Amino acid sequence: MGIEKIIFYVFAALSVYGALMVITVRNPVKAALYLVFTFFASAGVWILLEAEFLAIVLVLVYVGAVMVLFLFVVMMLDINLAQLRAGFVRYLPVGVAVAVAFAVMLIMLVGGDWFGGFAPPPPSPAEVSNTRELGRLLYTVYVYPFEIAAVILLVAIVAAIALTLRRRSGVKYQTPGQQIAVRRQDRIRMIDMPSEERK
Amino acid sequence: MSADDIKLIGIAIVLAPLVGAALAGLFGAYLGRKGSHWVTILGVAIAFGLSAVLFKAIVFDGAETFNGPVYTWLATEGIRFEVGFLIDRLTVMMMVVVTFVSLMVHIYTIGYMHDDPGYTRFFSYISLFTFSMLMLVMANNFMQLFFGWEAVGLVSYLLIGFWYKRPTAIYANLKAFLVNRVGDFGFLLGIAAVLMVFGSLDYATVFERAPAVVGQYFTILEGHEWEVLTVICLLLFVGAMGKSAQVPLHVWLPDSMEGPTPISALIHAATMVTAGIFMVARMSPLFELSETALSTVLVIGATTAFFMGLLGLVQNDIKRVIAYSTLSQLGYMTVALGVSAYAAGIFHLMTHAFFKALLFLGAGSVIVALHHEQDMRKMGGLYRYMPVTWITFLIGNLALIGTPGFAGFYSKDSIIEAVAESHIWGAGYAYLAVVAGVFVTALYSFRLYFLVFHGKERMDEHTRAHLHETPPVITVPLILLAIPSVVIGALYVGDMVFGNWFGSAIVVAEAHDVLGELAREFHGPLAMATHALSTLPFWLAVAGVATAWFLYLKRPDIPDRLARRLAWLYRLLTEKYYFDRFNEVVFAGGARAIGDFLWRLGDRLLIDGLVVNGSAKLVGFSAAVLRHLQTGYLYHYAFAMILGLLALLGYFVLWTPQG
Amino acid sequence: MTFELSDLLTLLPETVLLGITCAILIADLFIPQRSRMVTYLMVQTALVVTLLLLLTSFAGERQVILSGTFVRDTVGDVLKIAVLLAAFVTFLYARDYLRARNMFRGEYYVLGLFGVLGMMILISAHSLLTIYLGLELLSLSMYAMVVLQRDSSLASEAAMKYFVLGAIASGMLLYGMSLLYGVTGSLDLAAIAEALQAGRAPGVILSFGLVFILIGVGFKLGAVPFHMWIPDVYHGAPTAVTLYIGGAPKIAAFAMLLRLLVEGMPGLHEHWQAILVVLAVLSMALGNVLAIAQTNIKRMFAYSTISHVGFLILGVLTGTDSGVASSLFYTLTYVLMAVAGFGMILFLSRQGFEADELDDYKGLNQRSPWYAALMLVIMFSMAGVPPFLGFWAKLVVLEQVVAAGMTWLAVVGVVFSIIGAFYYLRIVKLMYFDAPEDTSPLNPNVEMRMALSLNSLAILYLGVFPGGLLALCQSAILP
Repeated sequence: MGIEKIIFYVFAALSVYGALMVITVRNPVKAALYLVFTFFASAGVWILLEAEFLAIVLVLVYVGAVMVLFLFVVMMLDINLAQLRAGFVRYLPVGVAVAVAFAVMLIMLVGGDWFGGFAPPPPSPAEVSNTRELGRLLYTVYVYPFEIAAVILLVAIVAAIALTLRRRSGVKYQTPGQQIAVRRQDRIRMIDMPSEERK
Repeated sequence: MSADDIKLIGIAIVLAPLVGAALAGLFGAYLGRKGSHWVTILGVAIAFGLSAVLFKAIVFDGAETFNGPVYTWLATEGIRFEVGFLIDRLTVMMMVVVTFVSLMVHIYTIGYMHDDPGYTRFFSYISLFTFSMLMLVMANNFMQLFFGWEAVGLVSYLLIGFWYKRPTAIYANLKAFLVNRVGDFGFLLGIAAVLMVFGSLDYATVFERAPAVVGQYFTILEGHEWEVLTVICLLLFVGAMGKSAQVPLHVWLPDSMEGPTPISALIHAATMVTAGIFMVARMSPLFELSETALSTVLVIGATTAFFMGLLGLVQNDIKRVIAYSTLSQLGYMTVALGVSAYAAGIFHLMTHAFFKALLFLGAGSVIVALHHEQDMRKMGGLYRYMPVTWITFLIGNLALIGTPGFAGFYSKDSIIEAVAESHIWGAGYAYLAVVAGVFVTALYSFRLYFLVFHGKERMDEHTRAHLHETPPVITVPLILLAIPSVVIGALYVGDMVFGNWFGSAIVVAEAHDVLGELAREFHGPLAMATHALSTLPFWLAVAGVATAWFLYLKRPDIPDRLARRLAWLYRLLTEKYYFDRFNEVVFAGGARAIGDFLWRLGDRLLIDGLVVNGSAKLVGFSAAVLRHLQTGYLYHYAFAMILGLLALLGYFVLWTPQG
Repeated sequence: MTFELSDLLTLLPETVLLGITCAILIADLFIPQRSRMVTYLMVQTALVVTLLLLLTSFAGERQVILSGTFVRDTVGDVLKIAVLLAAFVTFLYARDYLRARNMFRGEYYVLGLFGVLGMMILISAHSLLTIYLGLELLSLSMYAMVVLQRDSSLASEAAMKYFVLGAIASGMLLYGMSLLYGVTGSLDLAAIAEALQAGRAPGVILSFGLVFILIGVGFKLGAVPFHMWIPDVYHGAPTAVTLYIGGAPKIAAFAMLLRLLVEGMPGLHEHWQAILVVLAVLSMALGNVLAIAQTNIKRMFAYSTISHVGFLILGVLTGTDSGVASSLFYTLTYVLMAVAGFGMILFLSRQGFEADELDDYKGLNQRSPWYAALMLVIMFSMAGVPPFLGFWAKLVVLEQVVAAGMTWLAVVGVVFSIIGAFYYLRIVKLMYFDAPEDTSPLNPNVEMRMALSLNSLAILYLGVFPGGLLALCQSAILP
């Protein structure tokens, strides 16, 4: 067993452990942190596959941005843990039964034996740039799916704005544009008053 | 004119009345009365004009017969169900007759239905009828023929019951519907047999394959063999018997007079009832191959021609007399078909369409003038008040009884001569019947004429005071119909009956070609008319008129005395040979008894109790239980998906053998 | 990898639609609320332009371009045209409804157009990747549309369920696709079909992946037991959105079945047929029986959709060309009827009144005989009464099932159709034999009246003359 395999099993075990913890720990903040942990482990596996760029992107985007945002949200929401747990025990037996049945079938059907069809690709020489290759593929062979993905992101933006942006009546807003563009005559009025006699 | 032009014109002819009917029927409320009658009259006028164009193209300019599909409705298992046109000389003649009479009736209706609340509905129906009839005559396949057949039947049903608040009208239309069902059942079986034997519904294909099946037999019951073609022809003829009111399926036609008079003229005299005649003529290539079928046609036609005429003698309702006259004349046409004188039958169909429509519309004019009085005993002496109606009615009558020179003479005399010439089984009986029928026809026609237009004025004072000629919308169609009733016979007898005018549309076997025999002795219409003066039928007709004059003008007391003296005969006639009574007791009563029994046992106990209510309860129960599955909880839904996944995976792991 | 300029020409309808949609997205920001009609007109123009582009190059040669991710063929063109027409009618019907509910804003239309784009991508997909992306584009638009009426708790709940379940289904679909990729080594449908045909892939993994893929497809179609979202979403969403969801996306779902199973995995026909039989029978049974128990017409239509989906699957599962053609015919027919049916709900609704209870249809005949007659046509057609179009759709599908030697399945279909006839006829009964409870006048705009009349009359017309549409479907599928 080469060193690579050992590293692989270590990272694989870590990511499985992390994933399990995500769904079992009680505290959602901890769950989110375990998810971060899982991502790290997965990134490790990807590096073994020579997918360095993807591994780094995974860490940067998911861990650095998405999960941090996620943590903010979880912390800002006032989640009632007791309520979340209410049905857990009651449904546990059914859930476990289903999970076990599922796992058994997965093991019966999916195993190393079935995936021997292809020889592993030859390791690429060190000077090949992973990032450049990915970019080349994305903008040539996969340009069409890539563009669609871009559209999907656009839709996500539109949808998010459409669903959250609203103007409530009765709420006071600051409008910086107006504040900046304000002129003297908007704010003060000069009145010419004749002086009055003191009585 | 090219085939494409003919096809386009054909489509326009069919669609114009349909559009009119749809507009008047669906938007009658918006269009109003005027709008409705204009739009339908326009539709039919277009159809008539274009039919005339096609007539000219086919008959005078020698355009090719058009036979082709217009729209393929469905193609399955090698059989194509199509809408298609067969436009040959027979078709164009029928088209012109149908659209012309229809146009006259449309115009006439403006006056006749003037005060009726169902005015727009009526126009919609008669335009729909025109569409259906055109589809029927223009068909090039059995399916479309059947469509037209049923569609005209439907409109006929709707129109007989037009005044749906009258119980008698409802009874009459129900009766027409049921009796026609019997005929249509036979017809449908016939079409099914055609499909089974020939594997096609297309006329041309069927006719082409027909000679090949001569001598083939069906075995329907063990030990009994039936000649295929005879069975087909007889079944088809059962359909014709229903539609063209031949004994014993004639009982609905007299009752159909419950409908408004324009309908009696259009549907129950001039066009729809002749559909059976047309159909048999169209099927001549089949009927010619079965002498048994021809003899059956002949005997039934002859029976209808004579015995139904007799019934006309004792009727007092003006429309019913004409209705029995129609039955009798349809019998003549059927006789012509039976002796293979198809051309003569069709020719009589055409002349009859004109003069019978004229008679009906004339009767309608009288009825309108007398404020919807139909009893002849309350008429008389009308010639003083209604000169146009009087003269045109007289013309119609003279044509009907076969006065030499008039249209009816040429067609009817050709039929009688053809029967005399024929040698097939039953021809002797038929000859007797049609010759005696001439006397009867003259007698009832002039009985009607004298009772209505001459003699004592028997209407009440109030009615007499208001008597006057009907408005032009009524009289103009009468005049327009009177013209062909006089001249069309002399114009066309040479070509149509004796001149092989129909060409390939009608096929006659060498051995049956009676008209070919007669053609050798034909020397022009004038010679035919003068020759007739020395023949038996002419003198029988004169005798009939004279008898009518004597009995109903000279000595009006005699008929009553006769009726008392020959009470049994009179009763037999007024009871219409007990056909209705028989049907009511045996068929209706028997069917009710069986139905009642089955209803008790089958419907209430088995079907209602067990099947319907039982299954409804079962479904209702399972729905009530199953709806609880839709709990509304997201995790239940997700769980259901997981279970589904598990089940499907399990199916693969446990049941499907894998390599 | 070659990239040719002519590829862009083939892709023109999609490109143009995307371009116009983005333009509308921006333009809409500058259009004041009172002239929102302009947005509406632009949206309809976008659809019409795309439709014209498709029609000008209709039924050309089959082309697979962009490294096998995109296919342009006749059946795709037919489906896309149907999608565009359905969307056009949908937007037309929805206008007054949206305006009355203060939802007449650009978002509905822009999201709707993006959804249409997603459907077109899905229809033209020739690779697992584009199938998935098209599906996501469509789904994302629909999730957002359901919850456009933000203050409605019913809509928010429905959207939440739809989103979560949709995500699960997408995950399963993706898992299945990854397994398929793992054993065939390709995302290209043609390459996958070839690999399967050659028997190069181990069967167990294939069927395992197949099950997951079928669940994804089944969810999109709404086949039992993956149908749970349909009643809640149909009911909870604003009717204008229900109309959108109930119409065109069914065409896309059919396309997904066609591309994935019939084109991508003909070698596994035996396997997916077995699964589809189960889904079809369950859908027909549960859909029809549960529809009877509903009192809300939108829910009733939802269950009716499920049962129609069962029928739609029947044709595909035969795996024969004519079977698939019959399903295509069924799909187009169903969409025509569904759009008309939801259109009728929109027609009757007005400010503050949804017209989505069955009782709202009582005595419609007395209020408006013409629209009662149109509804009658729709209901009869859905029930499969001749001579309406729905009858032919059922007939051709059953014919193909019998031809494939599964007569028992056809019998099951007939039995459940008969049960289904009950709830359609109940509406007819309510319309014609009950006294109206609500007598306010019906006054939608003229366009809607005309479109709805045309829509319903098309059902009647095509029912009497089904030959043309049938021939079109057959020629689209048969090579």
